[in-house]
Amino acid sequence: MKIPPFLLLATLAFWGWQSGLLWIGVALGVVIESPRFIKARFDLADEDFRRIWNLCVVLTLAVAAIVFTTNDEGGGGLISNPTVNNASNATVHTATTLLRWLPMTLFLFVAAQKFSERGGIPLSAISLTFRRRRHKTGDAAPEREVDISYPYFMACLFAAGFHPNQGAPTYFWGQCILLAWAIWPARSRRSGIFIWLAALTLAVAIGYGGTRSIGLLAQVSQGFDARLLSWMLQPKTDSKQSMTSMGRIGRLKLSPRIVIRLEPINGSPAPAYLREATYHSYHSPSQTWQSGAAGNEFVDVPAEAGGLNWNLLPSVTNHSVARIACYLNGWSADLKVPEGLLPLPTGSSRLENVPLNIVAIKMNHTGAVMASGPGLVIFNARFGGDATFDSPPDASTNLWDLSVPTNEAAALDKVILEMKISGTNEEQKFQAVQNFFADKFTYSTWQGSDKLATINATPLARFLLSSRSGHCEYFATATVLLLRELGIPARYAVGYSVHEASGQGYVVRGRDAHAWCLAWNSRKKIWEDFDTTPSSWIATEEQRASMWQWVSDGWSWLRFQFAKFRWGQTHLRQYVLWGMVPVLTALLFQIIFRRRKRKTAAGNKNSVEKFFWPGLDSEFYRLEKMLAARGVPRQPSEPLADWLEHALAEPALAQLRAPLQELLRLHYRHRFDPNGLDEAGRKLLAQKVRECLESLTRLGS
Amino acid sequence: MPMHHFETARETYRKIASNIALIMRGQDVATRQLLAAMAAGGHVLLEDFPGTGKTTLAKALAKSIDAQFKRLQFTPDLLPSDILGVSIFSQRDQQFHFHEGPVFTNILLADEINRASPRTQSALLEAMGEAQVSVEGERRNLPALFFVIATQNPVEFRGTYPLPEAQMDRFAMQFTLGYVSPAEEVAILTAQEHNHPIDELNPAVSLADVVALKHAVENVRISAELKRYAVDLVAATRTAAGVQLGASPRASIALMKIAQAEALFDNLEFVTPEHIQKLAVAVIAHRLVLDPQSRFSGITARGVVEDVLKKLPVPA
Repeated sequence: MKIPPFLLLATLAFWGWQSGLLWIGVALGVVIESPRFIKARFDLADEDFRRIWNLCVVLTLAVAAIVFTTNDEGGGGLISNPTVNNASNATVHTATTLLRWLPMTLFLFVAAQKFSERGGIPLSAISLTFRRRRHKTGDAAPEREVDISYPYFMACLFAAGFHPNQGAPTYFWGQCILLAWAIWPARSRRSGIFIWLAALTLAVAIGYGGTRSIGLLAQVSQGFDARLLSWMLQPKTDSKQSMTSMGRIGRLKLSPRIVIRLEPINGSPAPAYLREATYHSYHSPSQTWQSGAAGNEFVDVPAEAGGLNWNLLPSVTNHSVARIACYLNGWSADLKVPEGLLPLPTGSSRLENVPLNIVAIKMNHTGAVMASGPGLVIFNARFGGDATFDSPPDASTNLWDLSVPTNEAAALDKVILEMKISGTNEEQKFQAVQNFFADKFTYSTWQGSDKLATINATPLARFLLSSRSGHCEYFATATVLLLRELGIPARYAVGYSVHEASGQGYVVRGRDAHAWCLAWNSRKKIWEDFDTTPSSWIATEEQRASMWQWVSDGWSWLRFQFAKFRWGQTHLRQYVLWGMVPVLTALLFQIIFRRRKRKTAAGNKNSVEKFFWPGLDSEFYRLEKMLAARGVPRQPSEPLADWLEHALAEPALAQLRAPLQELLRLHYRHRFDPNGLDEAGRKLLAQKVRECLESLTRLGS
Repeated sequence: MPMHHFETARETYRKIASNIALIMRGQDVATRQLLAAMAAGGHVLLEDFPGTGKTTLAKALAKSIDAQFKRLQFTPDLLPSDILGVSIFSQRDQQFHFHEGPVFTNILLADEINRASPRTQSALLEAMGEAQVSVEGERRNLPALFFVIATQNPVEFRGTYPLPEAQMDRFAMQFTLGYVSPAEEVAILTAQEHNHPIDELNPAVSLADVVALKHAVENVRISAELKRYAVDLVAATRTAAGVQLGASPRASIALMKIAQAEALFDNLEFVTPEHIQKLAVAVIAHRLVLDPQSRFSGITARGVVEDVLKKLPVPA
């Protein structure tokens, strides 16, 4: 079926309009349709089609490489895709751009078909399978040819779908018109035009309904997968509240998955804790820590050097630096990118070498730093013991940092009596609390139901008074509340403990998640980590490590590398580009020069054989060259005698006819008689050629 | 081989050719090709429309040589034994006697060969390929000069069976006579105004002369380079586009032998590239089997060979 006239022009123009390249689309269309008016055609062989196809493939690869490696932030003109957020996934971006560019990358091939003498393209030009099969069977029959106009039409239509303003109704209606145009020639002549139109209308209506519902569905599910995944797979810290597992029966199970990688830089000490958030107030009935209304307002962190560095505490200069890699597991509904709390060492003042595709970094007054951008962030944190960016103890009427839930106060007071604190000195109080927990409490992730059944009290009171065994959340909560009861402002901090060395740095697993107490040092006017959990908890957790942990570590490493690649945290994309350049160049070179090479190789083979043929030293060739220079060159397949007839057609050469024919006989005897010429004959040949050459030169002048 | 043998052989050729020219007007090229094939020990298939002088040419050749000539008209009901011969029981001596068929002769005109069934056509295979006949388990040699001239009407004509490929391959050459120019046709009419001149044709050479001619042809020299050229030409038809079955090595052998004969006719003791080029179509084309698809798209075997000739560089 022949494609209707000007359909391709219209389609290309439509594609151009939709993707903002209207003039390019129109120009391509005009070129494609021009064979209708231009009579000139090229005689293209299968080999030529194959080469053009290969060139198109290389072009596509090159576009892929360029798109993939171009930083999408800058808005690389044609290449940039406005719908894709700058922090988004380069792979998806590459795929869409490739599809959008299909009409351009395939253009050469289609133009080759349109301008060739044959109506179609040999299948073996495109398909390696066909080529192999032909090669195998040695089939010399002319090949089946396919007209690629319709496939190209479909590709253009498809590409037009990937346009910047996706979902615009123009695409749907334009596509309907073009498709109707395309199938118009194939309509059934049996039924009338009205039936055809009715069927078309019905199809369009169904299509319209379908696209509408799919559009709605897409809106609902947009980003849903990413959010869902992050909810399902990753425990994530909420800056507003931290629900503890206190009071739950059974074993606390935590994942051995590596969630953070940390590497101290320039011999800095490794931080003991990586904090994600702190909380003000304890809601006893739900055993939940909350950050309180005042502490939850996030404010922007000032950025420097175009987003490379972010200052948390502008007035402080710290010298310890740790490189931290962590995942952002949340989802920002506003920015449509992943977001999450950064795990930071206590006393962090500045974030350096932050990836440029970070959209925003915010912090709140209770020391949580929220980053939005890629799913994986790698940055340097500068930290020290001088100051923290948390707000000082709450001075409002609520006195958040000193408040103790009333239903826990009784148990706390009992414990304070038991501690027998000798002085009122802050140091002594800290020491007493530390000793109290160290001496009388044990670490356990197991809470038996018997303890719950016997005592009718809050989980915290049960922990303090009877069981005296629990996990870090019990210790941290109890410590915070005890300190407050003793008049020291304290906050509940959650994050990770850093203790497992790996290579030059440390790895932090899901099970290293920790809760501890942040206590106010009124002398230094800073918040300090105060951890009363027995240090045996680390050993206890490690005991439960599976013997197959190395497998999961390997998997974590792979995941980390992939995340680095996916979120643009490596230079891999640059490497890909520079790696592609020589490969593409080699490919292009091969495509352009391979045939020539093969030809010269064949030529060499022949000349090697010719070398052994006798008589190639004949002087007649000089004569041939001279005659050919007069305007009658010999075709390679033309025997000398036939050629001589042509060459001597010139009247001026008539007198040379007899001597030349005589010479040719001699030459032939020299060349093709296995007996060859004797010495006299050989001399005669040389001499006669000389004579002929002379007379030719005379004639020429 | 001494020069005078070549001379004698050439003289034999010239005598036969001029004798045939008395009858066949305007068919010098065909006559020359026919004689070249005979001198090279090959057989010839003449394909043309009825009435263009195929049979006359064959008869003229037979009459020009003082040799045995038999003519066999092929019909659909012709049997192999009708060609090869048959043993018949003799009442007199109570024994079987073999009665030689028409194949036992020097020159055999197989007229309208494609009117017989393939079975009968194939009866000639052994005779043409090996100059011998096996009948009833006994091998019988054919005479030193055994030359088959077969004529056939174009395949598309009614009541024809196309020759099997193996049979086609046994023919060294196939060519057509074609219509002569009006002036020559008038001359033919004039010559036959009273009686057919062929009736008055006398043998010009003896059988021994022709056998000597065949020996002389065998001694014409051909260089390794031209052998290679002939082989390359034939091999190229095997990979040419649209060809289902290319030419066999038998084709290159025939090409070489007939080129030797042509060289002799040309007063040369060695073969030149022109001889091979000139003969290529007549020797190779009829052996090619084309794809049905390319046949319908207008590709001819002749065109394929001409293409190959144009593509392959000729030794110069």
